Parts: sequence; C-alpha cells; structure tokens
Amino acid sequence: MTAASAPALAISGLSKSFAGVKAIRDLSFTVPRGVTTALIGPNGAGKTTVFNLVSGVYGVDAGRIEVHGADVTRMPSRKRISTGVARSFQNIRLMPHLSVLENLLVGQHVRASSLADLVTPYRLFPNHRWKREARAALEESGLGRWADETVSALPYGVRKRIDLVRATLAGASLLMLDEPAAGLNPSETNALRDHLKALMAKGVTLLVVEHDMHFVESICENVVVLNFGEKIAEGPLSRVRQEKLVREAYIGTDEEA
Amino acid sequence: MSGYLTGVLVVLAFNVIAAYAVYLPLAAGQLNLGIAGFMAIGAYAAAFLTNEYMWPMWAAIPVGAALAGLVGILIGIPVLRTHGIYLAMATFALGQVIAAVFLNLEVVGGAAGYPVTDYAGPYVVYAAAAGVVVLMLLISRTRFALCLTAVKSDATVADLLGVSVRGVKVAAFALGAAVAGFGGALYAHHYSFVEAQHFNVLLSVFTVLYVLFGGTQTVWGPLVGAAFFTLVPELLRASDQWRYALFAVFIIVFMAVRPQGLVTASLFRLFRRKAEAA
Amino acid sequence: MLAQQIVNGLMLGAIYMLVAVAFTLAIGVLNFLNFSLPGLFMVGGMLAFGLMKAGWPFLLAAAGALAAAAFVSLLVERFAYRPMQGGDPEVPLVSSLGFLVLLENLMLIQFGSDQQAFPALLPDLNIRLGGLVIGIAQLISLALSLGLVAFLSWYLGATAAGRRIRTVAENPETARLMGIDIARLVPQLFVASALLAALAGILFAVNYQQVSPFMGEGVGFKGVAAMIVGGMGSIWGAVLGGLLIGLAEVLSISFIGADVVNISVYGLLLLILIVRPQGLVGRAPSREKL
Repeated sequence: MTAASAPALAISGLSKSFAGVKAIRDLSFTVPRGVTTALIGPNGAGKTTVFNLVSGVYGVDAGRIEVHGADVTRMPSRKRISTGVARSFQNIRLMPHLSVLENLLVGQHVRASSLADLVTPYRLFPNHRWKREARAALEESGLGRWADETVSALPYGVRKRIDLVRATLAGASLLMLDEPAAGLNPSETNALRDHLKALMAKGVTLLVVEHDMHFVESICENVVVLNFGEKIAEGPLSRVRQEKLVREAYIGTDEEA
Repeated sequence: MSGYLTGVLVVLAFNVIAAYAVYLPLAAGQLNLGIAGFMAIGAYAAAFLTNEYMWPMWAAIPVGAALAGLVGILIGIPVLRTHGIYLAMATFALGQVIAAVFLNLEVVGGAAGYPVTDYAGPYVVYAAAAGVVVLMLLISRTRFALCLTAVKSDATVADLLGVSVRGVKVAAFALGAAVAGFGGALYAHHYSFVEAQHFNVLLSVFTVLYVLFGGTQTVWGPLVGAAFFTLVPELLRASDQWRYALFAVFIIVFMAVRPQGLVTASLFRLFRRKAEAA
Repeated sequence: MLAQQIVNGLMLGAIYMLVAVAFTLAIGVLNFLNFSLPGLFMVGGMLAFGLMKAGWPFLLAAAGALAAAAFVSLLVERFAYRPMQGGDPEVPLVSSLGFLVLLENLMLIQFGSDQQAFPALLPDLNIRLGGLVIGIAQLISLALSLGLVAFLSWYLGATAAGRRIRTVAENPETARLMGIDIARLVPQLFVASALLAALAGILFAVNYQQVSPFMGEGVGFKGVAAMIVGGMGSIWGAVLGGLLIGLAEVLSISFIGADVVNISVYGLLLLILIVRPQGLVGRAPSREKL
C-alpha cells in the first residue's frame, strides 16, 4: 500500500503487559485517513497505553503499528514524529517556564533540526521565519494575544489549545488527543471544537480519547471501544452504544455511553 | 588601575567563565559537580603545549579547551546514562579523579606544580571573559538553547517532538567542559603556574553555587551570580573574619526566600516590557 | 603488613559507614542530598574538642556536641529543606552547602584554621593479636558504629515507627493518605542523621586525635561515595560501601602512595556509577531527585 492510500494509523495484534498484567491484548484497529475516531472505554481500559505505544513512550510486546503506511513499531520514539504522528497529554505537557511562542518553536523542531538551524541565533532577527510561522499559527487559532506570555500563567483552556497548535507546527497529520475536553467550561469546549474542526478541514486525522460523549458525538465519525485492553466494539457511536458488551462494560461507571 | 582592583577583576573574569561552564549543562538539567577537573585538563594541556612545544599562547589555549571538550564527549557518553543525583555524583567523582591524576603526573610537575613560561595579561583575561559572555548570549538566541530548556523542562515531550535528548545532553556537557578547559588554560597562562590542588571539589561546588544563586532560567543568571559571589565578599572585607559566615547566612536566607535564583525568565520579561513601554 | 592495613581500613571504614548512613537517611527517605552533613560531622569533632578544652569531661562534651549538631540540623530542615518544595531540585543542595560554609567559618572564627590535637582518651591501651595491633578506642568505636547501624536497621524493619518511615520513603503521597504526619517525621529524621554524622565526627576525633574546621569535607564526600557504592537508600549498602571505601583508601595509601587515594576511591565510585548505578546492593532507582 502506498503512503497516499494507507490509513493514518493501522494497529494489528498489539499486546503489552506491565509486570505480568496484560494492559493491551491482541488489539487491532485502523484509523482511515480523514476519519476522526474516538477511543473510548471505562477507566483503565488501556486507552492512554495505546497512545503511549503508538508514540513510542513504551515498546510493544507483540504486534505492529503503522503510521501512514510506515512501520513505526521498532522506531525510536523521537523519530516517529517525522512520520506525522503527534500527541497531547491528559495533563498538559507544555514547557511551563517558556513563553507560548517558544513552546511553539520547540514544536517546530522536527522541521528545523539541521546543524545550521540549531546554531542560527534566530532570536536576534525580529522577523525570523520560524517566529513568523508560529505567530501566524497562533493568530489563526485566535490565540495571538498570548504569544509572549509565560505558559504557566495562562488559563487551562488556553493552554490546551496551545498544545494543539504546537502539535500542528510539528507538521502532524495524525494527532492523538488524550481527553482534550476534560476540565474545560462550555465556551472553552466550543472553542476547542471549532479548533479541531479547522484542523480536520486541513486534512489532519484525529484520534481522540474522551469521556464526554456529547463531544465525541459532535466530531467523531467512528469509535473504537476498549475494555480491559481488548477491543469490544467498533463503528459509529449511535450503533456502538446499543451493543450489549458496551453497555455491560459501562454499567456503574458512565451511564452516558 | 590599582593592583587590588585588577586582581579582583581578574578573579571575576575567571569566575564568569567557570560559571558558564556549569550553566550550559545545567540549562539542560544536568548538574556537573566536576567542572574543576575539566579546567585542570585545559590548564595542563595548554601549559604543556606552550612549555614543551613552544606553542604560542593563542594557539595553546583553544587547543586546551578543545581537548577538555573532547574528554567531555568521551566521558559524557557513558556518564550521561545516569541522571539526577547519580550524574551529579559521577561528575563529582570524575573531577576528583582527574585532579588526582594530574597530581601524580610527573611530566607536568606532579604535586610540586607546573610553572608556565608564557603570560596572559589582565586585559587578555577580561577580553576572553567578555568573549565567553558574548558567545553565550549568541548561543542563548539559537534553537540549540531552546532544545536545552526543552530537555530540562520535559525530556519525554522533547523526545516525542523529535529532539535528540541524549545528543543535546552530550553536546551541552561537552561544550561546558570546553568552556571550563578554556578558563583553566587561561588561568594557567595568567598566573604562570598550575597546581592540581587548585582544581579541587570546592572550586567545582562554589561555581555551581554562583550559577544556582544567579538563576538558571536565563543566560544572565551566571553572570550576575559570579559577579555577586566575587564582589560581595570583597565589600564585606571590613568585617574581615566574619565575612564568609555572613555571606553563608545570606545565601541560606536568600535561597529560602527565592529558590529560583536572582534572575528569572519572568523577571526578565517584566524588565523588557517596562523598557518597551518607556 | 596486609592484615594490619585491613584492620586499619575497616576502622576508617566504620567512620565512613556512619556518615554514609546519615546521608542515606536523608536521601533514601527525604530525597535530599544534604551537604550540611559534613559540617555536622565537623561540629561533632570540633565542639567535643572545644568543650573538653573548656574543662568538660569527655562524655559530657560529646553529648553537648551531639545536641548542638541536632539543633543545627533542625535549622537546616527549616531553611534549606522546607522551602525547597516546588523549586529546582538543585536548590536545597545550594542551601545545605551554605550551612557547610557557615559552620566551617564559625568554627574557624572560634578555634582558628589550624589542625588541633584532640586529647588521647585511652592512650596505650592496645590489644595485640598475633602481629596485629588494635587500639581499644578504635575497637569500641567500631563496635559502637556497627551496633548503632544494626539497631537502626532493626528499628526501620521491625517497629511501627520504622514502617512509617519506609512508607514515606516509598511514596510520600501514599504516606499522607495513610495519615502519616510527615511534617512531624521530617525533623526527627534530620535529627537522627545529624546525630549519626556528629557521632562519626567525635569518633574520628577520638581515633585519629586531630580536629580542624575543615575535617568534614574529605570524610563527608567519601561518605557520599560510600553511600552510592553500596547502594543509595539501603542501610546495609551504606555499611558495605563505607567499609569498602575505607579499605580502598588505607590499602592504596600503604601500597601505592598517599597521592593516589582520590584516584582509587573516586575511580571506584565512577566505575560503580557507570556499570551499576544502583550500587552493590541497591535496587534499580525508581524515583530520584537532587
């Protein structure tokens, strides 16, 4: 399969244990290019572990992971971003002492890591192309006024969106978002939704872990349901939520699903 | 200029160079407690070249620095597998071993010390320190400096964004070692004498102290810290024997009140904004 | 002669062992590399010397020195450890070094910078065993050190208070949830590690009959080395490391020369750190901080 026709993410036979406990067992699913997909399931089902395996924070025990047709299973974690996969963290992982702009500049690293790029004193040039690009991306997301603020001083909702811009600047074409809407108030959730839709319109494929089913419904075409590290259902949310296994998995935890 | 003032300024210049040698790896989150060892490498290597091979000072000093940097790379690769307190202790041990090796190296005088034939005057020392500061300011404006901060701040995320965490760490460590070697080589040629006993743990530890005191969030911290640590004890000279005790009390109280150091990034942005507003 | 040197090495090692255990308490439980401990070691030796010079009998002078060290350690806790929460992990290192400099200079002002002779307590009392000469004072201090460490190990392993301390060492968050009063436990640990360091200083003064304001530096740094060689956070690791470092020092002095001590002692430390960073008997590190 060529990169152009390959799915954004293809996982097959994935397994991972921690200290003998199987966190993920024989998991297979694909995220077709352009199809926004949600990964849902009760707490501890292994959703974040899937993200960690795809981004390379952990190595796999068995199975295969392909991003846009490229096998990344054994690729060192820092090289995976060049295949186009980026992720966010449940607890936002921006660099707190850096300004917003500097965080975005770190995001550009994968596209600016030649020796010449590294040793150019770009900050001496007020209008250097890297800064221009980062500012433009911020303006586009309506976050322009925060550019020079220190990240640790910003509201939660703003930080979550800056995290998104950073991933976009890395050139991500497959973006894995770990609970993007958690902790946001309704207006922040709306801003996030608009932001994600704009990304989707640009051709970025999203894989989202999320508990807010209204949010999932509003942006995702497809859902994959995990329970105890196994896939128990897959398909459109309206159909999946009728399935018996899914209902059982959620009893006593999240009545919404 | 009076001899006293010249003497103080020369010490300040050496302290500034040493402070940046500690700062570079620390900006990437690695505490090098063995900086004196790398100074010793630069000092002895450069002195050896001027003494035995009649090299001119301006060639011997950079080569001494480069040699210290090279040792930094070679040792950095295995040592930087450790981190946190283990790394601090490994560099600490390294500094001790290097100084002890020179102490036993008869070809450079052993414990008796090693006189150096060439002499670098105070203005050469000032210029060299200024050069190091300018170089550091330039580095702080590059993406490399951004990578250092990223690695220190969150190595996992930096890695996932494509930063070679190990590469950045080794580079910062080796560059710091080269700066230390440069300072050591210059030291040998200014005082025209090298002795291994000078490059002891306390030299390393006090240099770390300046840097942390000044603050590691911005490139100005080490400069401010070194200046403070060099000049304030001189000003306290009136109280003579109490000065170091008073100074220590000051450090303790200061770090309790302001653990992030004197100069911080946000303080800096505040200044800049005020300057722009004015 | 080898056997005699081994005995001497073990005697010196017993001092390093106490210092290493003091560091272990601070690192293993509080995650704090407490550089004021070499200063407290010195306070032990110097104050015992000073009080004896003022006419106090040895045991009273030793008790006074121990009490002073414990008090200073509480100040270290208040000013170097407590404010560190939230800052850069290197910060407490700086403040605790500040205490080392302060203590050294206070002693220097009081007693001068020269090395002073500590009175011999049990002069000429030696055991001769075959060709070996073992000083009674040294033997007592070795027994005292080992006994103390054994007691500490039993205390941490078998008593309720010990279990609380180990819970804090494992995970302070869990400990808090279990209702352990960390705010009360921490100063107690500071006092305990100060007492160990100061006692080591007193024993050093008694055994080697010399004290100076800077006596803590060399011994303190070797104590840290001993702790790491043995395995950070493990009491018996600190014992093993202390004895090994003591042996390495004495043997390299007598067979190669005094100038190579730092090469062998710190070379050993460097080697261990590269090959087996968790130390000889330590577990692989799970969490760490400076």
